[in-house]
Amino acid sequence: MRTSVLLLHRASGEPVEGELFDEVTVEHFLEAQREWRPIVLDAAKRLVEAGAAKEEIPRHWHWDWSSKESDLRVLAYGFVGIAYEGRLQGLMKLETAGRSGRIAAQKGKPLVYVDYLETAPWNIKQIASVLGAKPKFGAIGTRLIEAAVRRSLEEGFKGRLGLHSLSSSERFYLDVCGMTAVGKDPAKQSLLWCEFTPEQAEKFLAGGTA
Amino acid sequence: MNQKRTMTLNLTDQEMKVLEDLSNQKDLSKTAVLRQALRLYQLVEVKLAEGGKLFFEDQKKEKAELMVL
Amino acid sequence: MKMNTDKNWLKNMAEREDGCFVSVGGLVESLEQKEQASNVIPMKPAFVRFVELARRERSLSLEQFAEKVDVDLVELVKIETEASYKPAIRTVHRIAEFLKVPQKKLLALAGLLQMKDPEFQTAALRFAARSAPVEKLSMQEHSDLEEIVKLLCEQ
Repeated sequence: MRTSVLLLHRASGEPVEGELFDEVTVEHFLEAQREWRPIVLDAAKRLVEAGAAKEEIPRHWHWDWSSKESDLRVLAYGFVGIAYEGRLQGLMKLETAGRSGRIAAQKGKPLVYVDYLETAPWNIKQIASVLGAKPKFGAIGTRLIEAAVRRSLEEGFKGRLGLHSLSSSERFYLDVCGMTAVGKDPAKQSLLWCEFTPEQAEKFLAGGTA
Repeated sequence: MNQKRTMTLNLTDQEMKVLEDLSNQKDLSKTAVLRQALRLYQLVEVKLAEGGKLFFEDQKKEKAELMVL
Repeated sequence: MKMNTDKNWLKNMAEREDGCFVSVGGLVESLEQKEQASNVIPMKPAFVRFVELARRERSLSLEQFAEKVDVDLVELVKIETEASYKPAIRTVHRIAEFLKVPQKKLLALAGLLQMKDPEFQTAALRFAARSAPVEKLSMQEHSDLEEIVKLLCEQ
């Protein structure tokens, strides 16, 4: 699947046409590894040295996409990428089997689980600014969550979505997307389990939040 | 990669009943239930091939190993 | 899959997303624990020893080395004295350039790049295990240093 997707070009404030695709390959993993991680590492170190608050420091720089190659052949896993002019801007890994809702009303009902989601560091304000630049594109995270919700609809899960949020990302999933905070999960480093009901997913796609 | 092919599936009455019950319970179409089953089966096989083990834990916290061949 | 084409929605969401850390995945601490528990042979001690020996071979103090390589002295001290310290990529690049060794392998030695080469890992570990106090390089140390440089420069 390849489809056009509008992204916000920050410098001009205008929408530009990017590409959303699910035919993710090892090359995309390597591109993320090669181009994103050094920038995130560098920015994180500078933020630590500058005495930035804990929640301002990116905490995802140890992700190793190169170990995900075998996952490409597993049916229960889905990958989504966003690119602009051939350059990767966001990457996401979904699980489409084996996960179910924890909100009482949807306990036991399958949902799409977002296992990994990462935007290119030059699109993140805190990282771009510590490196003396302005973020390049906006709404990459929103587009990836939108793609995950649409995948949930395609699977017959009615938009149900679940993920474990890093503490620094909770504001985005709860306030911006409108997910429900279900509770800290002791089985997953006490990260916050967030979930979309079908109604919340529909509202998110339509542009509102709960 | 996303092209679909059609298959005819013969199920016993009992199997069809289980499929319908799961479909209602999970709020899924019968096709979606079977798709889930296929994905889960492959996922378990992959994990086992990597050296993992599949367990069920009962209420007494006793584990019983479930091997899928 | 048809994505939302509403430009106002896009601008509104982009504005609300601005300043948020959008990511999903495990915490660094748990990944660090996983790394320690895993079977990956740690090469960092080899990197630390290599930098120290290479500096001493050139009869340079930490300060002089930092100046010549154009890296932060505080970071250089941390590299040589703090086992858990992870150097900046730029620092490792600079050191590789100055010592004329391949950047990628030195990054791997510094623990900044994963390298699935068991022979390289084992050789690096053996090199690190042969540690000695801070003194002028002995013949053995000279020989050890030559060996690790040869390993780094191997294709």
